[in-house]
Amino acid sequence: MAAVVRRDYHVARSYRLPFVLDLFYGVINLVVFFFISRTFGDTAADLDAAPDYFSFAAVGIALMIVLAAASTGLAARIREEQLTGTLEALVAQPLTTTEVALGLAGFPFLFAIVRAGFYILVAAAFMGLDISETDWIGFASVLLVAGVALSGLGVLFGALVLLVKRGEVLAGMVTTGMGLVSGAFFPVSVLPDWLEPLGAIMPTRFAFDGLRDAIFRGEGWGGDVLALTGFATLSLPLAIFVFHEALRHARRTGSLGQY
Amino acid sequence: MSAVTTNGAVLSIRGLERRFGEHEVIRKLDLSLGPGERVALWGPNGSGKTTVLRCIAGTIAPSGGEIRVGPHPAGELEARRLVGASLSQERSFYLRLSGHANLLFFARVRFGDEREAARHVAAVEEEFELGEFAPQRVDRCSSGMIQQLGLGRALLGDPALLLLDEPTKSLDAAARKRLWSALERRPGTAVLMATHLEEDLARCGERVQLPV
Repeated sequence: MAAVVRRDYHVARSYRLPFVLDLFYGVINLVVFFFISRTFGDTAADLDAAPDYFSFAAVGIALMIVLAAASTGLAARIREEQLTGTLEALVAQPLTTTEVALGLAGFPFLFAIVRAGFYILVAAAFMGLDISETDWIGFASVLLVAGVALSGLGVLFGALVLLVKRGEVLAGMVTTGMGLVSGAFFPVSVLPDWLEPLGAIMPTRFAFDGLRDAIFRGEGWGGDVLALTGFATLSLPLAIFVFHEALRHARRTGSLGQY
Repeated sequence: MSAVTTNGAVLSIRGLERRFGEHEVIRKLDLSLGPGERVALWGPNGSGKTTVLRCIAGTIAPSGGEIRVGPHPAGELEARRLVGASLSQERSFYLRLSGHANLLFFARVRFGDEREAARHVAAVEEEFELGEFAPQRVDRCSSGMIQQLGLGRALLGDPALLLLDEPTKSLDAAARKRLWSALERRPGTAVLMATHLEEDLARCGERVQLPV
């Protein structure tokens, strides 16, 4: 599994400029939300633990990067392997289904965690994000557990790509939708009444709440980590089973070498 | 880990069938290879040679029949450990990485241990004289160079069964000679080769013809 992660790092590094641009893409997002926040000033909405709208959105942006990488990263990697033709060579190797799935998801996920930390530090250094109360253990725990929990979804999307080839588009849509209804860029309390219950049960909701608690209150993130751990414990084995079946289906139909 | 079945075969195929929709590509193929045997699968384009190799490598499931690599059903983890395959070389490498980095990746996947992986890669690079182009990125290599990388990858760790799909198609005379020498140095390795070239056929002890 480590070999696959390491290989993906070397492939990503071979595209030097996009690799650096990838790192700075989120900074642009931060700047946009920084000026939106300054334009509209204080809001009456409940911002969970965040002291102002920019702080609220900055955490949303950072976490969305981890969630997107964890949930759509594997789908994108499998699609890339299909297009370059290396998927067949990879599954012919003595790797278990779990090693293939988690190995392919590994690098996008780890890189996203680095990016999320970087964005929080940039926002704190240049845009006034207050991290004086931050519990860094809580911060790291929520990021890590949220990524692992959402990886289950990523493995499911990976299975979808094995079956229908272009499933990564749906993966992106679902992740963005989940982020929107569970409080990535605006509080759940401003959602229409009928959407609020949906937002409340999304695993992403625990991730956003937990991270904001860890950063702005320095406490209260434990329950969210527990909920995310529970979700990961259920979803990851199920997702790996589905991925295994999708791989079997691709072998049966002879579609591993197709794109 | 045993590389042979109870009857001494490294590869045992019984009644193999493979259909793609209504199209029947392989019909009732029986084949057995013992250690050191070298068999050529031959037939015209579209006769199913590559499909047979893919079924053995475990990337395509048979529609019927049974394949065993050593005592293990084809495609299972233990069976894949016994197989070294060189199939559709042009589309099986990470083009942005060097040949060396590709070989090292596949060796790490196969052996886990970093030192052992590096040792096996160094051995095949020396054997196939890849020193000159292994440091190049694969997208800058010619078809012949990529084919040699594919053969080197298949031989990593001296697998019990080698599956070679048209292994000499893009090779020059010197590279062909290196391939045959590499196989001669492995008298215990079973080789199944898909080919329609006379030189390849002459190097194999037995031929199995696939009908169209």
